[in-house]
Amino acid sequence: MNVSTQLAPEQQLSGSQILIEALKRNGVTDFFGYPGGTIMPVYDALVGSGLKHYLCRHEQGAALAADGYGRVTRKPGVCMATSGPGATNLVTGIANAFMDSVPMVIITGQVPSALQGTDAFQEVDIFGITLPIVKHSYIVREIADIPRIVDEAFQLAQNGRPGPVLIDLPKDISAGTGTWIDAPPASLPAAPTADVEALKKASEMLSAARRPLVIAGGGIAISDSVEVFREFISRTGLPVTATLKGLGVMPTDDPSFVGMLGMHGNGAANHAVQNCDLLMVVGARFDDRATGHLAQFAQSARIIHLDIDPAEISKLRKADVAIVSELAPALEAIRPENTAKPTWLAQCEAWKKEFAWRYDAPGEGIYAPRLLRDMCRVRPDNMIVTCDVGQHQMWVAQHCKFNDPLEHLSSGGLGTMGYGLPAAIGAKVAKPESTVVCVSGDGSIMMNVQELATLNRYGIDVKILLFDNSALGLVRQWQEIFFEGNYSEVHLDDNPDFAGVARAFGIQARSVKEPEEAAGAVEWLLNSEGAAMLHVSIDSMENVWPLVPPGKANHRMMRANPVRGK
Amino acid sequence: MNYTLHIQLSSVEGAVIRALGLIERRGFSLVTCSVSEPDGTGRDMEVTVSSTRPGDLLKRQLERLHDVFSVELKPVASMQAQQPGVRPITRRT
Repeated sequence: MNVSTQLAPEQQLSGSQILIEALKRNGVTDFFGYPGGTIMPVYDALVGSGLKHYLCRHEQGAALAADGYGRVTRKPGVCMATSGPGATNLVTGIANAFMDSVPMVIITGQVPSALQGTDAFQEVDIFGITLPIVKHSYIVREIADIPRIVDEAFQLAQNGRPGPVLIDLPKDISAGTGTWIDAPPASLPAAPTADVEALKKASEMLSAARRPLVIAGGGIAISDSVEVFREFISRTGLPVTATLKGLGVMPTDDPSFVGMLGMHGNGAANHAVQNCDLLMVVGARFDDRATGHLAQFAQSARIIHLDIDPAEISKLRKADVAIVSELAPALEAIRPENTAKPTWLAQCEAWKKEFAWRYDAPGEGIYAPRLLRDMCRVRPDNMIVTCDVGQHQMWVAQHCKFNDPLEHLSSGGLGTMGYGLPAAIGAKVAKPESTVVCVSGDGSIMMNVQELATLNRYGIDVKILLFDNSALGLVRQWQEIFFEGNYSEVHLDDNPDFAGVARAFGIQARSVKEPEEAAGAVEWLLNSEGAAMLHVSIDSMENVWPLVPPGKANHRMMRANPVRGK
Repeated sequence: MNYTLHIQLSSVEGAVIRALGLIERRGFSLVTCSVSEPDGTGRDMEVTVSSTRPGDLLKRQLERLHDVFSVELKPVASMQAQQPGVRPITRRT
């Protein structure tokens, strides 16, 4: 961890040099940012520091790249920007990390302390703006505090339920001089330990249940508990569904896995949830996209809720047994008996057969779900898929196969269009040995299209699979179904030539339209040298099925278009 | 339902507004609020809030904040008793 340079006692350093030293002592090697007025002293100290900075081309790109980096490493991704618009441009990325519990440290320049509160040039109260979307935040008031604040920020960002921590750095602090002062160890809350009675009660309830089911949430990946969870499932034989962020906790093809639940979940998963009599929820938070109509969610089930965050217990659904703990030790301590109930497992299996994905959609064009399924048949072992937000995101969740949750980076809580490309940059920087594929749509890609320049600048080998339906597809689908086809601002017939755009940024690209071209084009994408884009034109009227209408129970899912039967 | 929250928290910049912001954002109306710094080691805040949401959930959400040392929660039977010498509000015209 300590990769610092030797500092002589009483050596005079700028606040920026102290900051850089503190970042290095916290294990930072790579980070993402964009310079500007008030952060310039830090960029000055960066030269020759040994830290690798990636210049993104918009601060939102830097924040989302830090998110991708943080997800795959489980260590804080770091981003940096100047005050004012630089800082406000980070906000979406910070909120994204907050909603998905991603460890992140954000450093913003600030106008000099004496000018704060005077509406100075590029002054904005980023500390105030981000209060609702950070785990914690600081304004640095003394140079001597920098090592302590940075140490605390890194530990807080990772401790317990992770999240983003912001450090606002006025220019007089970053440009002023002082000496390095070793920080005292940060005082952090101890990890909660599970209540023994609750563990015992959970074991008893699981043993007694006739139709028990487990929901695997994103917390399992965040806490690095995948192996312990799989061992628990192997030992108990319980069927498992997953939230969007829990995908990959069980391998997609594992016999115990019934699929993703929720609005665009698999029918087997939604029927299993709605019919179970005991639901064990592990590292998940009853998000409305997962539960559907909350009052009708798993109505006949008692709930065992296992989470490290006490504030998630009974927030939306009352827990009959609450276990507030690190996930792994609690899973090891829950020892039910006779949990594999043959009739129930047979029912789950029957639902899996009934609701197995079909790939025989009518239509002459390329069918995106089939292309994704086929890509995963030829995928390399170490593939990471990042997504944007929309129809393609749901098709990835439904039709890609994951062997680990860190193979799937998706903006779950915030639903940030524009997440995919910068997240892919962060993931590839963190895991250069992985094949990183960004699956995007023609709406989403334009939200952070400038990051193609970042790919080219650093030779970052990200493969972009761009589905183009000339529409904001998911909004168009909702307008078709819930707004009587009154299409409003969803047609993108005037899209640019995306392959041409990629080439203009120095990224090789191909465009395909015909189904017979798809397999060869995917092979080209995965095996191309360096960054590449495959632009795939698809039917603009294609929809994502099934769909649980908003406000309806999960078993009331629509399985096909009521008008077109597709 | 009305509650009184007794919150002990750090004196650092932003701690009070962070706690108050959370209270309103999580669906609780602020009825009364007083903040003091009795001995220089931290701040002492007493807040009366009103909501249809459960108070113990708010307590746990406040306890998550790094600046917050402790939270005590008490249900309040009547809001009237909690409002000392209220002056009528005069709006600026």
